[in-house]
Amino acid sequence: MKAIVAIAGTTVGEAIRRKVLLIILLVGLLVLFIAPGLGTLSARSETTVLRGMMLGIIQLTSAVIAIVLTVYMLPNEVERRTIYTILSKPVQRWQFLVGKYLGAIAALALMMALMGLVMVITFWLQQGVRDVSVFADLLKAPVMYFIQMSLLAAVAIFFSTFVSPLVNFFLSGGVYLLGSLFNPFFQTLQENQSTSPVAKGLATFVNMILPNFANYNVQNPIINPGQTIQNEKLYYLSAAGYGIFYIVVLLVLGILVFDRREV
Amino acid sequence: MSTDRRKPGVLLTLLAVFFVGQAALQGGYLFNAWKTNYASKNSLSSSGGLSPDQFLFALAGFREMIAGILWVRADAFFDTGNYDAILPIIRLVTLLDPHEIDVFATGMWHIGYNFTDEEQRSDRRYIPSALALGKEGCRQNPNTYELFFETGWLWYHKIDDDYDQAVKWFTEAQKRPDMLPARKNLLAMAYQRDGKPDEGLNTYMRLYKDALERMKQEDSFGTKQNRDTLENNIDTTLVRLVQRGWMAEQEKKPLNGYDVDPPFDVGFSVKATVVAARKLQFEGTWNVLPVGTRIRVTLKDSNFPHGEPAGMDWDFSNDVNLDPPKEETFMQDQLFVKNRRFNHKVDMSRDPTMYPFKSPEYDLEFYYNPRSAPPHIQDKFSWNGEGMTDKHFLNTDVRPGQRVIYWKCTLSRDEILRAGKYQDQIPIRKTPNYVESTRSYDKENVIIDIPSLRAQGK
Amino acid sequence: MAAAIETKQLTKSYRSRVVGTINVVDHLDLHVEEGEIFGFLGPNGAGKTTTIKMLLGIIYPTSGEGYVLGKEIGDMDVHRQISYLPERPYYYEHMTGPEILRFYGSLFGINDRAKFSSLLEKVNLHRDVTKTISQYSKGMQQRIGLAQSLINDPKLLFLDEPTGGLDPIAHREIRDLILGFRDEGRTVFISSHELSEVELICDRVAIINRGVIEQQGKLTELLKGGRIEITVDGVNEQFLRDMKINDSNVRSLPIGILLDMPEEADPNAVIDSVRGSKGRVLSVVPRRKRLEDLFVETVTNRPRSTGGDTK
Repeated sequence: MKAIVAIAGTTVGEAIRRKVLLIILLVGLLVLFIAPGLGTLSARSETTVLRGMMLGIIQLTSAVIAIVLTVYMLPNEVERRTIYTILSKPVQRWQFLVGKYLGAIAALALMMALMGLVMVITFWLQQGVRDVSVFADLLKAPVMYFIQMSLLAAVAIFFSTFVSPLVNFFLSGGVYLLGSLFNPFFQTLQENQSTSPVAKGLATFVNMILPNFANYNVQNPIINPGQTIQNEKLYYLSAAGYGIFYIVVLLVLGILVFDRREV
Repeated sequence: MSTDRRKPGVLLTLLAVFFVGQAALQGGYLFNAWKTNYASKNSLSSSGGLSPDQFLFALAGFREMIAGILWVRADAFFDTGNYDAILPIIRLVTLLDPHEIDVFATGMWHIGYNFTDEEQRSDRRYIPSALALGKEGCRQNPNTYELFFETGWLWYHKIDDDYDQAVKWFTEAQKRPDMLPARKNLLAMAYQRDGKPDEGLNTYMRLYKDALERMKQEDSFGTKQNRDTLENNIDTTLVRLVQRGWMAEQEKKPLNGYDVDPPFDVGFSVKATVVAARKLQFEGTWNVLPVGTRIRVTLKDSNFPHGEPAGMDWDFSNDVNLDPPKEETFMQDQLFVKNRRFNHKVDMSRDPTMYPFKSPEYDLEFYYNPRSAPPHIQDKFSWNGEGMTDKHFLNTDVRPGQRVIYWKCTLSRDEILRAGKYQDQIPIRKTPNYVESTRSYDKENVIIDIPSLRAQGK
Repeated sequence: MAAAIETKQLTKSYRSRVVGTINVVDHLDLHVEEGEIFGFLGPNGAGKTTTIKMLLGIIYPTSGEGYVLGKEIGDMDVHRQISYLPERPYYYEHMTGPEILRFYGSLFGINDRAKFSSLLEKVNLHRDVTKTISQYSKGMQQRIGLAQSLINDPKLLFLDEPTGGLDPIAHREIRDLILGFRDEGRTVFISSHELSEVELICDRVAIINRGVIEQQGKLTELLKGGRIEITVDGVNEQFLRDMKINDSNVRSLPIGILLDMPEEADPNAVIDSVRGSKGRVLSVVPRRKRLEDLFVETVTNRPRSTGGDTK
């Protein structure tokens, strides 16, 4: 356990110093901060548009960070040969992989927390929002996005045990896109009378196996308030549980591959 | 093997259990809960908006960018009149970028007005979809007046019947601060059409006050013109309120001497002939001389879904449906009165998709609502038809609380298609008061009996 | 003495679509005694790093056996008693020396500040505790590497090209440290292609080429068989003919003639005959055999054509 924590710790330390990530983060933060300014240009903007925009920025930025952060993680260790110094110590490969993963999501959590904070500050300073419950409501989305990004990071880590970073970048990005869009697609398919039962069956199957990132896209009721959500807590808990299940599956798979891999 | 001395069996079991766990959560609960609570309300989902392949197409890239490109493409289709191609594009664009107000507005107009038969009769089966698009646009863009205004306009101008709705939407539009002052006048007009001229006057007065305020800040041509228009409108409305006896009525005074008294008998009669398969001819009388009278005629399935007398529940749908019911028939046209008679042919034989005639029975309805009448006719009939009557067909049921002229008969499918025994037997429906006449009213030299619309009748 | 490392027919092969199966390490039999500095020599691509990685359990042998400190390779317990310094490693650049030690220490569950500072002192980095690795010179990086490799007080150290790419002063510092390890009773396994270094510090060496051990043994034994060089001037033809019979190489130099003869030959007899032929002796130089000569002999005797190029 100590080894895992130590590896996670260095991973965070490294991640928060990586220039690429910092630049992406900085751009995200900057856009968050100037978003209200952009909004006023189009007379139609009000908090609804602003909320949607800010949550969108947080989600997009986090996704890019999650992918860029994780795809290079294992290859960098091999290239710098630090992985050899670590694996020659009494550290199991699974500990190494899990440590790296935990470090990655901890770094993500830090960066996302910063974005969440900037969003809150922006609403507070520029929009004059003083109602704490508004912030609590707004921050629900980034919390769910964090689980989403953790799942994305697990996908990228899993792929990084056997494909090159560039391939992984597109692969993970593709899975993210697919997983984000599958739910609505599945819904359309289900409700379309003319869809063949075979296609429906196939879609149901895909629905069961694909990492459904859309489960964490809970921004709609936040952007358009006034909707009543049934069992919000249950939903959030289930979505979190789903994420954890899927992350474990990916990590175990990753470990199985990584254990057999020659680095 | 260095690192893995544990049995892989344990790992594999863990893998299986968790995998089944996630699948169960997703399939058993999450997806449905997400669908209910978090799915985009504008719906990719709601019934039939988009087919799965259209949806997949939409996934190919960045939403807004694609939306923009699509819209540019749609423009080309407008030029070539390829309206069927535009419809899915409008739908896609509004789904991809729900803040494209112009696309919503254009889409509504397009769906509501552009689908017509060979004789330029609008396909009104699309109207609920046009309204649905408007409602969706309002939901997506609640902070701007435009789509509220556009939706109101569709009620006011296209549906031209249920003015309550027009008033409702224009009122919503006025709540948005970005509404142009000149457009606000339309609410007053909608109130008048809705039979509430006093509300109309109030609206004008309020707008006039605003206009004077604005004059103080900005003495521009636009503001001046707006103020002048309002002055004019207020003037006219006041005169009408007096002349049409509204003021007297409010004060419970006898209407004797006002234009609306006594009510004028329009003397409606009609004969409908199925002259050939899917071709109908309507001839009849209407005792009002001035031009500008249009009598609505509708022919629709007796069991038309959401059907209502001489129309339908236009507002029934919240989903934009790109494929209106192909099985149902709804024809609506207008009979123009000239020299107190009308004679009009409706040819539905060239548009089998619009008039499929699949139902066994059809309602043929004639309908006239003085609320839609032009001002010079309303000068006699007043806003709510107080000055109008008909010995046989005055009706206060089909539009509760309103005085309209209404007559309905039914035709069978065989009759309309001239099938079976109707191949050589001409189906005819006519009101009992219809009198055959050989007299031509079209020639210029014919002298016509002109009934007086003035106070004492003849 | 027990064996620190023992391999029996250890083999690692890779499949290549072009040339078929390549044995990068081919039936390797290594034997390293405890407490010695063992030099593992070979040209680049000979299979040195592959062998070390197999011994550490980072990659898996195709066939054969290997034992490290008496346990089969891959045994996690062994990892507590060994350490590895890869060839030119890059540590986490944002960390300082003490942070590096703390990190690697935590992998063993060691958190002993006194030990960390004594290690830093040992590698002469105790004055640079605030510098991050990114500010270190190559020599400093190598020294922090050695310090991290000593955290667990290893019985056996694997050093892969420990002096690669360093300047002469840094060379010397590293060399001294390694010699110190032996004095502390540790076994050191050095892989290198820089022979002059190895020659100075190793007790025993193995020379590997194309994955095969060509020579293995004590340096003193392997380097047996030196030469004597005598430079002469003004000797006649007859003398030179005699010398050739005498198993000597004769080369003409600008200043005279160089006679190169085996260690066993009697230089006095040669000097006498030079005098007899009215010649002059310019110099007599005994030449000890150098590791380099042995290496070149070994490597060139085996053509590099057996099985294509390795990675």
